[in-house]
Amino acid sequence: MKSTFTLGLAAAAALAAACATEPEPAPLQFAAEAPAPVASVDPRVKFKDGERYLRDLSANLNIPREEICKELSRYDCMTDAFRIVLGGVEAPNLLVNEPIEDAALTSPIAVDRLALHVCTNRVRMDKETPAEAVLFKAGAFGRDGRAKGPELAWLNSTADAIYGSVLLRSPSEREVQNLAAYYAQVAEGRAANNPDVAADWVTLSCFAVASSLEAVFY
Amino acid sequence: MTHEQEERWHDDFEPVEGNAAVKQKSTRTGALIALGVSVVTLVAAALAPGAPLIQQASAKPPAPMAFCHAYPDAKACNTGFADCAACHTTPPARNAFGMQVAERLAPGLPRPLSDEDFLKYLPGALKAVEDLDADTDGYSNIVEIMAGTQTADANSIPKTLACATEDATRAAGAQWNVCSYDAAYAFRKVHMDFCGSSPTRADMDGFRKISDQNTRLTRIREALSKCLDSAYWLGPNGAVWNIANAKIRPAHAVKSGENPGPVPLGDYDDDYNLFTWANSDDNDVRDVLLAQYFVKRTSPVKLEQISEEELAKRPRGTRQPVPVEKRAGMISTRWFGAVNTMFTSIPRTTAAQAYRSYLGFDIAKMEGLHPVIQEPMDYDAKGVAAPACAVCHATLDPLTYPFTRYNGISGGYSYDADRLKGYVRVDGARVADAPAGGMILGRPVADLREWASVAANSDPFAIKVTGDYWKLLIGREPDVNDQAEFSRLWRGLKSPTTYNYRVEKMLHDLVLTDAYGRP
Repeated sequence: MKSTFTLGLAAAAALAAACATEPEPAPLQFAAEAPAPVASVDPRVKFKDGERYLRDLSANLNIPREEICKELSRYDCMTDAFRIVLGGVEAPNLLVNEPIEDAALTSPIAVDRLALHVCTNRVRMDKETPAEAVLFKAGAFGRDGRAKGPELAWLNSTADAIYGSVLLRSPSEREVQNLAAYYAQVAEGRAANNPDVAADWVTLSCFAVASSLEAVFY
Repeated sequence: MTHEQEERWHDDFEPVEGNAAVKQKSTRTGALIALGVSVVTLVAAALAPGAPLIQQASAKPPAPMAFCHAYPDAKACNTGFADCAACHTTPPARNAFGMQVAERLAPGLPRPLSDEDFLKYLPGALKAVEDLDADTDGYSNIVEIMAGTQTADANSIPKTLACATEDATRAAGAQWNVCSYDAAYAFRKVHMDFCGSSPTRADMDGFRKISDQNTRLTRIREALSKCLDSAYWLGPNGAVWNIANAKIRPAHAVKSGENPGPVPLGDYDDDYNLFTWANSDDNDVRDVLLAQYFVKRTSPVKLEQISEEELAKRPRGTRQPVPVEKRAGMISTRWFGAVNTMFTSIPRTTAAQAYRSYLGFDIAKMEGLHPVIQEPMDYDAKGVAAPACAVCHATLDPLTYPFTRYNGISGGYSYDADRLKGYVRVDGARVADAPAGGMILGRPVADLREWASVAANSDPFAIKVTGDYWKLLIGREPDVNDQAEFSRLWRGLKSPTTYNYRVEKMLHDLVLTDAYGRP
């Protein structure tokens, strides 16, 4: 299975491209590649579909299913907005009796949108209620908040929380290193100890992991 | 040829006397002559004015059986019939393999070949192309035939699924063991497929700490048992419910009962509930075709049979008018008649939908053809005896006759032995002559109950039931590499000593297959 960071890198690149007025960011310094895993002789991974994807994130990020993702703050992302492209069916009205055989062109866009919704929500809730924070916890810049950049322990524990919540496992050393290295790019052009930078890093790191192949397929 | 194969050969070609539905004893020659009727019509269709580009090609209804007679051990011949796609793209147009065979099929004899000549020379033609490679994928035709891959599709090639020893060792220590059944992967997958969400991290970590494989498999079975009762699996709009969508084809606009549409004709909740019932707990899945009762939901995951007294008290728009002794599970419900039979005398759409939904044969794709001598009789004067139509209607019409006594929208969804008399004014006098008996899978049946019984006890039914779940859980149709495991499952579903038509028992073994548990 491909590294979870593949899509994260793509997300970062896309985000960087969107900020056209910003200077070109410095290349990331990622940890050395691990040996390629043995390829499956007959891969059968399946798309989780939008409902199961949101149920998982709902349980693991502690956000009620009915609140986790709403378009225009009103329409459920799966039920009302992206049901068919996310592998759902709607037989009685749309006559879609079975999930579409192949992912639609818009399916990855919809998955990304769900992931971004969920991660943005979770970090917003963490900021509003720090005592119940799941991902974005206090202590980024030391006990007194005066450090010039994020504390390594905080980066590591946040990476661990993201992987544990989204993928139900601990990250590898390489995965932690890669997320930590990503902080510098998020901070590009801003002070590294800006709380907004830390919040953005948590949101985007969450997005990178939640939109990874490992999170979307099973 | 073994004695058993010889018997099957004769059985396959045993002709049946048209609408009288009387099975005859026959010799092979007699059978060929009988089948020749439909073959001649097909050839005539190919030569008809305006028929584009098919003058030199003709599909032969006996060909799928003849192919399997030549290669009885080929994987494509599990059910005794090869797929038309073995030799054709869209019949009668041939694929690359079919063209190779055609070139060597009695060269010099005038076309079209008679059926006798076709069957006489086909084995030699097949033999002559065995060492060729029609799709130039590096595998000879005979290797692909025996492996079950497509001889005319370069992307379909025999595969070896075993890992090299070194890879197997590495994979065993990796996060995913892609070289064999990975119990941790299967444990998570069972939660996802049957409960609709991943296990908790604590459950997952706890599972990974178990070293004994038997204990791990026991945990997987326990998780499955629990999830089989979940709302995600059994509930409205759940996984089982959604398997039934294509069979029921709900349309809210004409729904009656709870949450009715603007033109309430029938309530498909009855159909979904019966389907879920027959596919759950210790119930017999054949009841989707055989049940003479209905089922209601008392909670999202609790179902129970409805008494006839309660059924009779229902509001008019949700009653099930077919009398108990005439019911045949989901193919005689009010909804099935409403959306399929509607106003027609000879409800071919109804029969075709039942054939497709419960036996997996789509007649529109020329699947499951068992042409009957002297058919189609075209009792309703719809022109189906025209050569281009008769190819399929020689099977479809006799398949349909048992449905002709069941009313759709007109007639109020009831059973009426004299129903067709009411169509004489519209469809002509002959429509009343259409018989109540018909044919399915080459067997005569007296009525819809018998139709359903033959269907429910057939191999295609077990294959379709197992295949529906296979596709849902494995994520694709069973392919050539799955045949051993897939065959064991559907045969087990039929076996009284294995699963005895209990879907949940079959699923307990499905989740332990390599196809399910190898990432």
